[in-house]
Amino acid sequence: MENVLFRKDLFKETAEGYSLVGNKCPKCGKIAFPKADFCTHCLNENLEEVELSKRGTLYSWTITRVPVGKYPIPHAIGLILLPENVRMVAPLIIGKQDFKVGTEMEMKIATYWTENDKNIIGYKFKAIE
Amino acid sequence: MRDVYVIGIGQSIFGKNPQYHPIFLGAQAAKAAIKDAGIDPRILQVAYGSRVMDATQTAQDIMKHVGVANIDMNNVENACASGGTAVHMLWKDIAYGIYDIGIAVGCESMTTCSIAGKLVGVAGGDLNGDLGITMPSLAALVARRMMETRGATIEDIARSSIKNHRNACLNPYAQYKKAITLEDILKAKMIADPLTTLHCCPVTDGGAAVILCTGDIARKYTTKLVKIISSVTLSATFDSTEEDLVDVEIMRSLAAKAYGKAGIGPEDLSLVELHDAFSMEELYSYEGLLLCPKYEGINFLRSGATEIGGKLPVNPSGGLLSLGHPLGASGVRVVAEVTQHLRGEAGARQVQGAKVGMAQMVGGYLTGLGAPSVGVINLLAI
Repeated sequence: MENVLFRKDLFKETAEGYSLVGNKCPKCGKIAFPKADFCTHCLNENLEEVELSKRGTLYSWTITRVPVGKYPIPHAIGLILLPENVRMVAPLIIGKQDFKVGTEMEMKIATYWTENDKNIIGYKFKAIE
Repeated sequence: MRDVYVIGIGQSIFGKNPQYHPIFLGAQAAKAAIKDAGIDPRILQVAYGSRVMDATQTAQDIMKHVGVANIDMNNVENACASGGTAVHMLWKDIAYGIYDIGIAVGCESMTTCSIAGKLVGVAGGDLNGDLGITMPSLAALVARRMMETRGATIEDIARSSIKNHRNACLNPYAQYKKAITLEDILKAKMIADPLTTLHCCPVTDGGAAVILCTGDIARKYTTKLVKIISSVTLSATFDSTEEDLVDVEIMRSLAAKAYGKAGIGPEDLSLVELHDAFSMEELYSYEGLLLCPKYEGINFLRSGATEIGGKLPVNPSGGLLSLGHPLGASGVRVVAEVTQHLRGEAGARQVQGAKVGMAQMVGGYLTGLGAPSVGVINLLAI
């Protein structure tokens, strides 16, 4: 099945596969994810694209048990705190261990849902086991 | 700035009533408020309508059903804070001398609107919404963090739902007049861990209306002069990792502004009606609204302080958890509820000797902003 990215603007293709990308403001150092046209902190419009860390910690989590959009249930979702001082919403991969705030997590590219013989793929985070 | 008074309040029945168009529910509430005020509706000079889902010309449509046309009418959408914002806009018009009397009316049919049967989501095209965040899952993220970083137990998370369902047994307008236990909550269908359906407000249709006016007009119609002592709306800051999800800046700033403009402190409050779409919201709002010191929210709830008869009753109506949450109506409904208590007309759920009350609503969520994205507080006194 063909893999189709959920949203192209969130990713960059590298030798090691897809990475998440954000924008860094060279003036004040703030990093935005998703990418923005300008820095909301200092309004600077000249931002640099930066690759985001693939590892972060779990800030909070839940598992939605009723349908949300096209996602199959259960749909695990959480907030990930990256070392770049970015807190992002991320679908989660349910592993062997229960989720716990503070768990070290790693970004994976995984299927969000399948439609018309296509795998809609995007980023998910999984506990480092 | 002029003093602004509440002279009329009204609400429709709250419940699952798909047979009624939301405009009908709004008109029921508007008629009740006009009757309560004892006015000829044709003296109204301005109307604000609030409705979130599928809305168009809400005020114009409702007002034609109560015999009013050809005046200044406008409509408000501010997520779950819409109704409170409509009251705020009306308050501004009267406080700053643009008009002398007007109506704010909110309505919603959650059983027939375009998201009926689904979880309430965030704005279309929003990244976090597209990733699968809904209002219940956002509430669950806050609840989970309260449990894992603040020492809240699942019973603490559930406690305001138990309390508010008990309060609702005393409220003829409530959708659910049935006390529930912790066991009932834990056994209910899981929506987003750790929140089950009984941690979440039900699906409800309803309307609510309030009529505000100047002191000169109010004194012609009533001796129970309920005054709006401050009215404040505020939107969230940009998202920051420095902000803890369980202690949000918007709530503290909103509360501080409302107290500051009224010249009172939280210790002066007799009751609070607040946005409890999810059980953990009431719990985390205690600290956010400065009702208790930081880190004391859980103990404040455990102590019974927020029960009817406690130090500061919160959601004596039964809250959104038992009345339900017709999005556009709730923010108007809480102003009407506080007014009833201040007048001493709240029946079995009356907060004895109520002098000052808060009607608060928050709502909305957008990628890049703090959560909730908007809030409103109307403080009232007699």
